[in-house]
Order: sequence, then C-alpha cells, then structure tokens
Amino acid sequence: MPAPLPLLSLGPFALVCAAAVTVLLGIAWQRMHTVSALVTIVGLLGALVLQLALQTPDSAETPLLVFDGLSHFAALMVLGSSLVVALLSHTYLRGYTGPREEFYLLLLCAAAGALILVASQHLASLFFGLELLSMPLYGMLAYRFQSSHSLEAGLKYLILSAAGSAFLLFGMALLYAQTGALDFTGLASEMGPWALAGTGLMLVGLGFKLSIVPFHLWTPDVYQGGPVPATMLLASISKLAVFVVLLRLVLEVPTFRDEALSALLAGLAILTMIVGNLLALRQSDLKRLLGYSSIAHFGYLLVALVIGSRFAVETAGVYLITYLVATLTAFGVVTLLSSPCRTEEASNLEHYRGLFWRRPWLAAALTVAMLSLAGIPFTAGFIGKFYILALAVDAQRWWLVAAVIAGSAIGLYYYLRVMVALFLREAADASRAGRGGHWLNDTIVLVLALLVIVLGVWPAPAVDWLAGLNY
Amino acid sequence: MMEMTVSLLPLTFLLPLAGTLLLAFSAGRLGERGAVWIGTGSVGLAALVTALVGADFALGNAGPQTLTLYTWIAVGEFAPSIGLRLDALSLTMLSVITGVGFLIHWFAGWYMRGEEGITRFYAYMNLFVFSMILLVLGDNLLLLFLGWEGVGLCSYLLIGYYYQNAANGAAAMKAFIVTRIGDVFLAVGLFLLFTQFGTLDIAELVTRATQAWSAGEPLAQLAALLILGGALGKSAQLPLHTWLADAMAGPTPVSALIHAATMVTAGVYLIARMHGIFELAPAVLYLVGMIGAVTLLMAGFAALAQTDIKRVLAYSTMSQIGYMFLALGVGAYSAGVFHLVTHAFFKALLFLAAGAVIVCCRHEQDIRRLGGLRRRLPLAYLSFVVGGAALAALPLVTAGFYSKDEILWQALAAEQQGLLIAGLLGSLLTGLYTLRLIVGIFHGEPKSKAAENAQPGRGPQHSVPLLVLAVLSTLLGAWLRPDLSAVFPAAPGADAHAGHTAVQLIASATAIIGILLGAWLFLTQGPKLARLAAEGAGAFFWRWWHRAFGFDGLYDRVLVRPFLGLVQSLRRDWLDAFCGLAGQLALVLHAGLSRSQNGQLRHYAIATVVGATLMVVILARA
Repeated sequence: MPAPLPLLSLGPFALVCAAAVTVLLGIAWQRMHTVSALVTIVGLLGALVLQLALQTPDSAETPLLVFDGLSHFAALMVLGSSLVVALLSHTYLRGYTGPREEFYLLLLCAAAGALILVASQHLASLFFGLELLSMPLYGMLAYRFQSSHSLEAGLKYLILSAAGSAFLLFGMALLYAQTGALDFTGLASEMGPWALAGTGLMLVGLGFKLSIVPFHLWTPDVYQGGPVPATMLLASISKLAVFVVLLRLVLEVPTFRDEALSALLAGLAILTMIVGNLLALRQSDLKRLLGYSSIAHFGYLLVALVIGSRFAVETAGVYLITYLVATLTAFGVVTLLSSPCRTEEASNLEHYRGLFWRRPWLAAALTVAMLSLAGIPFTAGFIGKFYILALAVDAQRWWLVAAVIAGSAIGLYYYLRVMVALFLREAADASRAGRGGHWLNDTIVLVLALLVIVLGVWPAPAVDWLAGLNY
Repeated sequence: MMEMTVSLLPLTFLLPLAGTLLLAFSAGRLGERGAVWIGTGSVGLAALVTALVGADFALGNAGPQTLTLYTWIAVGEFAPSIGLRLDALSLTMLSVITGVGFLIHWFAGWYMRGEEGITRFYAYMNLFVFSMILLVLGDNLLLLFLGWEGVGLCSYLLIGYYYQNAANGAAAMKAFIVTRIGDVFLAVGLFLLFTQFGTLDIAELVTRATQAWSAGEPLAQLAALLILGGALGKSAQLPLHTWLADAMAGPTPVSALIHAATMVTAGVYLIARMHGIFELAPAVLYLVGMIGAVTLLMAGFAALAQTDIKRVLAYSTMSQIGYMFLALGVGAYSAGVFHLVTHAFFKALLFLAAGAVIVCCRHEQDIRRLGGLRRRLPLAYLSFVVGGAALAALPLVTAGFYSKDEILWQALAAEQQGLLIAGLLGSLLTGLYTLRLIVGIFHGEPKSKAAENAQPGRGPQHSVPLLVLAVLSTLLGAWLRPDLSAVFPAAPGADAHAGHTAVQLIASATAIIGILLGAWLFLTQGPKLARLAAEGAGAFFWRWWHRAFGFDGLYDRVLVRPFLGLVQSLRRDWLDAFCGLAGQLALVLHAGLSRSQNGQLRHYAIATVVGATLMVVILARA
C-alpha cells in the first residue's frame, strides 16, 4: 500500500540514521566529543518528538515493517532509553583517553537496529534489525579495550551471539522449508513438525538475547565487564526490542502458540525466575547483580508470552515500562559514580557502602530503583508485578503464580542487601562520590527515580495509554 | 473561586511531606536555622491553606464534599482511591493539627536550640503532620489506616529521639508495640468490613452497613468492638494505656503535639467518624463510655501521685481523653470533638509551658526539685495558670469549662447517672492534681540549684506560641466551637433542657471545690501531706497510684514474661528449623548454580547447545 503514511512512520528511524551519518562524517572531519554527543542527543530527541507526534490511528505497513500500537510503544521506549544513555555517556566518556566519538556512532546504530526490530513483520527485517542492534553492542562492550574485562565482555558476547544467531537462522530456514514464506502472515499459513522445530531453534536464538535460562550464562560476565553505558544499553533497548519482536511472533504465528511449545515456554519461565534470583543471592558486584536481576525479570515477562492474550500485551507493556525505568535509574546511578571513567568502575557493593552520607539524592534514587525492582508497593515495579500476577491468576496458571511469588521472595533478599549497604555508616571509599559531573546528569537520574514513584503511585495514565494503543 | 480554594486542600499534606523530604535529603547541610525555617514554614503554610479552605467553608462557599484525587489501581472490586473528605469534622481536625501543630513547631525552634540532630527532629515532626492529616482527610479506611500507621511510626521515632539513652528506646518500643496491639484489632475490623460490604469508602460503608445490619447485630457488634480496639491503643485508654506515660521520654514539643493535642485523640476521631457503625452496636457504645469513665478516674488518681511534670500531664491527658470517650459513649459526638479541640489548646499550652520550665531549669523535671519559680518565669507561670484553669474547667472564663460541662450535661441527658458521677469525681481530681502541679513548680522555695538559677526564655519563638495558646484556652477558645450538626446525629440532650442548669451549677461547684481544696492542701498543708504519703495506708495509696495502679507490673507478669518465656522455649524448635530450611536451600542452590558461572566461554557455549538440544528433543517428543 504505497501511501505517504509509512514514509512518515519511518521518520524517527531516518532521523536516527541521519544522526549516525552526521556523527560519522564529523569524526572524519574533526574529533569533537561534545559536538558528537550533542548531535546524538538532538537526533534522538528529534526522533522521540516525531515518534510522539505520530499518532497511529490505523496501522501502516510495508512488506517488512509494521507500524502499529506495539511498535509505537516500543519505539518510544527505545528512543527514550537511548537518549538517557547518550546523555549519561558524555560524562562517563570525559575521562576516557582513547577515541570517544565512535561510542555515539555505535549507540545510534544500535538504536536504529532496535527500531527496525520492534517494527519487523518479516524474518528478513527481524534478522537485519537484530544484527544491526547487536553488532554495535559488541563494539560498545569492548570499547575500553585496554581493560581486559571490557574486551572479554565484548568477545564473549560476540562469540555466543554468533552461536545464538546461527540457531536463529537455522530455525528460520526450517520455518521457510515448511511454509515457503518469510513474512509473519505467511508463516502463519502452515504448521508442521519442521515448523515446530524451527520455532524451537528461533526461541533459542532469541532466548539467548533475553538471557532465558539455560542460555543466560553470558549475562553476568558481560554486564560486569562492559562499560556501564554499554551495559545500560544492553539491559534496556536490546532486551526490550527482542522481547517485543518475540511477543509479535507469539501473537501472529500460530506455531509459537503451539501447546507443546507453550508448555516448554512456561517451564523456561519458571526456571528463569528461580535460577535468576537464586544466582543473585550473595552477589557482591552490583553490575553482576543487576545482570542476574534482569534474567529474573525476563522470567516474569515470559509469563505474558506464555499466556499471549490481549491483556497479556498490555501486561507486557506495563511490565516493560516499569522494568526499563527502574533499570535505567539503577544503571544511571552506577554510571554517575563511575564517571568519568579512569580506573576501575564503581561496581563492587563496597563502593556503595555509606553512599547515603555522601550523595543522599543518588542513594535515594538507587534505593527507589531497588525497591521497584523488588516490586514493593508505591513503586513502579509493584504495578508491573501486580499485572503479571493478575494475568497469571486470571489464566489460572498456578505454577507460574507460585514461581513469580517464590522468585520475588528470593529477590527481596539481594535487593535489600544493596539498600542496606547504601545506609551503612562507614564510608569505605570516599573518593567514589561521582561529583564533578554536570548537574544535568544528576537531574536525569532523579527524574527517572521520580518517575518510578509516580508510576507506582499514579499508574492510571500510563496504563490507560497502553490500553488505548491499537494492536 | 470556590473550586480553587478547595482544590488547594491536598497542599495541606503535601507541604509537610515536601518539608520532610527536603529535611531528610539535606543531610545536615541546612544548619539549625534552615531546618527550623523549613520545618515550621511547611506546617505554617499548611495552616494558611487550612484557614483559606476553612473560611470558604464557613462562608458557605464550599459545602461538604469528597475530593477524589485519583484511583490507584482498579482491579475488580478492589479500587483503592486517594480521596479527601472535606466536612465539618475533618476540617475541625485539620485546623487543630495544622494550627496547634504550627505553634508547637514554632516553639520547638526555641526548645530544641543547640540540640544535636535538629534536622532529624523536624523531618520526623513534618512527617507526623503529613500522616496525621492523611488520617483525618482520608475518605476511605485504607488511607485512614495509612495515616494511622504513619503517626504510629512517627510517635515511635520521636519518643526514641534521644536514642543514646537505652531507656528512651525501650519507651519507644513500648509505645509502638502496645498501640500495635490495637492496630491489629483495627486492621481485622477493616478486613471484616471489607469482606462484608466490599468497600472501604467510609460514607458508602456506613450507608451499606445501616441497610444490611439492624441494631445489635452480632457482626456489627464485632466490627465496632474491633474498631474500638484500635482506638483504645492509639488514645491510651484502658487497657491499652500503659505506653503514654513512658512516651514522655521524647522532647517536650513532641509530647505537646503527638501525645496530647493530636495523635492520641485519633481514637476519638475514629469513633466519631465511624459513629454509624457504633450506633448499630449499642452495647459497644456503652462500653466506650464505661472505658472512658474508668480511665478518667484511674488516670486522675495516678496524676495525683506523680513527681515528674510531664508524667502528671500525661496522666491528665489520658484522663481528659477519658472524658471524650465518655461523651462518645453517650452519643454526644459533637461534645466529644469539642472537648478534643479545647483540650488540644490547653494541653498544648501546658506542655509547652512545661517545656519552658524544663529548659529554663536545665532539664530538671521533678516537681520535688523545683519550686518558687513564679517570679523567675512569669510567662511560664501565666501559661500554667491559664492552662491549668482550663484543665480544671474553671467556670465561665475558660474553654475547658464549656466543653466539659457539655459532656457532663449530655451524660445526664442520656440518663447515664453513673457516668455523670464519674465525670464529676474526675473533675474534682483534676482540680487537685492541677493545683499540686502548679504549686509544686511555682510556689514555695526553690528546692534545687537549677530552680534557683532559672533563666527565663526570651524571644518571640518562645513567647508568641505560649501567648496565642493561652488566649485560645480562655473563653475565646470556646467561641471557636465547630458546628458539627451536619456530621453527627442529634445528641441526647439536644431537645431536653431539664436539669441543664443544675448540672452546670454542680459541675462549676465541683471544679471550684477541687481548685480551692487543692490550693488549701498544697499551699498550706504541704508537710502534713508529705507525712501522710510516707507512712501507713497513705504510703500504700501513694505507691499504688504512683505506679498507676500497677498495670505495668501486671502486664509484665501476665503477658510479657510468659510471652518471652514462650519465645525462649520456641527459639530452637523444629518448626523454626523447618522454616529456616527454605533459606538454607536457597543458599545451597545458589552455591551450586554459581559454579555454572565459571567464566569459561566453552562451558557457556556447551550449555547453550545442550539446552537447545533438550528443547528440540522435548518438542519432538510432544
């Protein structure tokens, strides 16, 4: 349908790409850190505003991409998160001695990939989007290549991702063999043993990116090793985009709703929630801990995939928002305390001991983030978890309900451990005050923390907005 | 215009909340002056907003209404909304909380001068005001309960304010635990009401209850009894009264605000607010009156035998709240709330004046070591005289007289002669202990160095709150009587007039006799009294009353020690071990799973392949 609408819908994507090209050309001409950052921020902000302006009364589509309520929501989340990461990266990179400008280039490319991914309705665009998202991430994770940890994180993610992509491609091939189609509607036409096997293998590839147990092993190492802004991007847009495309597959392609597959998915969900939380229990490194925590959170989110109803989409939306806001807040605090990056990052819990007495507002923001991730009432996380529980109870999936509750109970332990550390008296490492950054950085983190509370206290507008999106 | 002022109502609690947050996150950078300004200013602004709304309300521009701010989450029947109820009752409470609260915050700036952690003090105080306002403005029981727990927490924090002294910590714990026992009853009562009617909205709940239940219905009795349990704990009435005297460990402004003027009267407010339920349970309502009567007598005797200024005032508070319960018990809610208001004025005044004495005498608060301060501390003396006169209900000129007289008259009109006699006897006791307190502090010779060298307080921070409260404790305060006829059913004495004058005369006579008797006894018969209290039967009564009839010892023996013994014996039982197993199991699993995270890329790759194979095999078998 060659209407002008798809072109307009592609606007945010085009803007992000244009910003990427501008940064690229700028680097070729003259290296200017702040200018590159500004171009990135302006590009992302423009894309965000344009995306907001795009009301989607009817969904527009091209053969490869679809622009509906779901992709609208996901694109907003992707652009918002990328913007936060870009803003915080500037402070972080100021202390970096190597080339700094390419970081923004990679960030913009990853954002563009995520935008493609969330809108794809074709296996080709899915794969393209996924790789465009992942490739820059390898570079970003290994960005501080002088540090062996960073390099190791990048390489590990690269090699394991390659393996995951191989599974994904193989699964796509099997699906193609069965159905002869690559677009989602075409895939829905036929079911059969090959299609089911292909679906399973695709699930391995996508499950790897979402760090679903048993494909989760890379998560803590990569989270810990990568520079904080890169990890932040990985934890936010990468996971969100992959989850959204998986959600779309489950909704549109019947083989993804196959009874056996659904049961398997339920099993994986339970395993992921429990294992993720158990692994985090005595973790003393905050970045690793957040890695484990994200494993557990995507376990909870799988519940929405297993049930796959109309309400499940809304639930997933609510949960994704709450997860994103809390995660960005937590990583935001870590970024600020690690900025500007010179030596070791502030990732050990020791660095956070007595933070409240040095930086009360940052400590409060981190506390709020932890409370939200733990799902305490009056924070965003509670609303998300409440929706997941309501969904599971409504569908009478009692095992899932039990696992969510057990997982949350275990989770409370390690989130509280972080909070306790913040308020202990002895400040172990007073140099880790993260001062000297721009006031804007602190403000961003505080606004995010405030958002966590607002969403928890007054969720109605966000929930209504999500329910009103046409899908 | 009208819409605008009413829509300002949320500011009354948001301002103190903002104050709390600012103070809490300043991390001590504000300094003493800044902390005082923010702490007092936020409550002052809240009082200003209250005055605006109150003026509109009084002029008839704004009627009783419910302001629904928003619904938190709506799932089925459970849709807790944050709504504010504006009517004469909530506005009265709000005025007391913000008005008296502001004066006390102001005075506290003088009282706490130079104390360590003044930021913490004001953060807690503002948090208290915030919670208390939520309690009285909430249109549903959930919000009310939130405020209810919030004030309990602040009370705990402020009693234990001087935490370096272990005894203060113990007093804070005692207050928290004893009121918590009441809170459990209240919570169960709320659950009961919710299961019965599916709503926690107070107005809706009472309407549904009156339709579904007839008077004397067992469930209604049970619900009322459970709510009463909560009220008893918070308002320090028998048998949950033991915490209040120990709560005096906190700074004196705290005692004035929380343990005299506002929080402890929350129980009175709760019963008044839920009077629809209590009307359905006449037996429980009668019990309310009985408990009030017994408490007011018991506390009156106990107040006679205390040596600490603040403990005298604490027992006196208990006794006065007993009057309020008595009023509620005979169905004279309006009279009860009126006494609540006047009591807030004069008791706050007495506590602040006591605070002034205590600071001026370098934290000496034992009556036996004070004395002769009337020339050195004239303002405190004046405050004590005015406040004491109001407390003892000196006829015609004091606020306390009008409210107490009303209660006694309503008791007669409800034909509860027993309660009337208890009230009159209590009035006699009030005169006695008030005079004992004033004479002990201000007359005679100074009995210690601290009293000899007392320096009067200076500055408006010290004098203005005292003067304002002193004015409010007189006849002028009684003119502020709120018109609560729209909120409550007609009181028993609304139509009758027979005997009103007689009660007034008798009550006046009792109060005057009490005062004169007290003056004669304590001014001229001091040594004789001391001898009387030291030997024989007198000593027995002195000790008995001094320990407030020995409830603490009784509870200690009957409840605390058996409980601790039980805890001790259950410390290492199999059930505990079984529960601990879950934690152990989690740790063992954690240790096992952590081994999989060995950092070896090849292991990770193998795990992925094995997982994928397993998945495909499972799918193939299905």
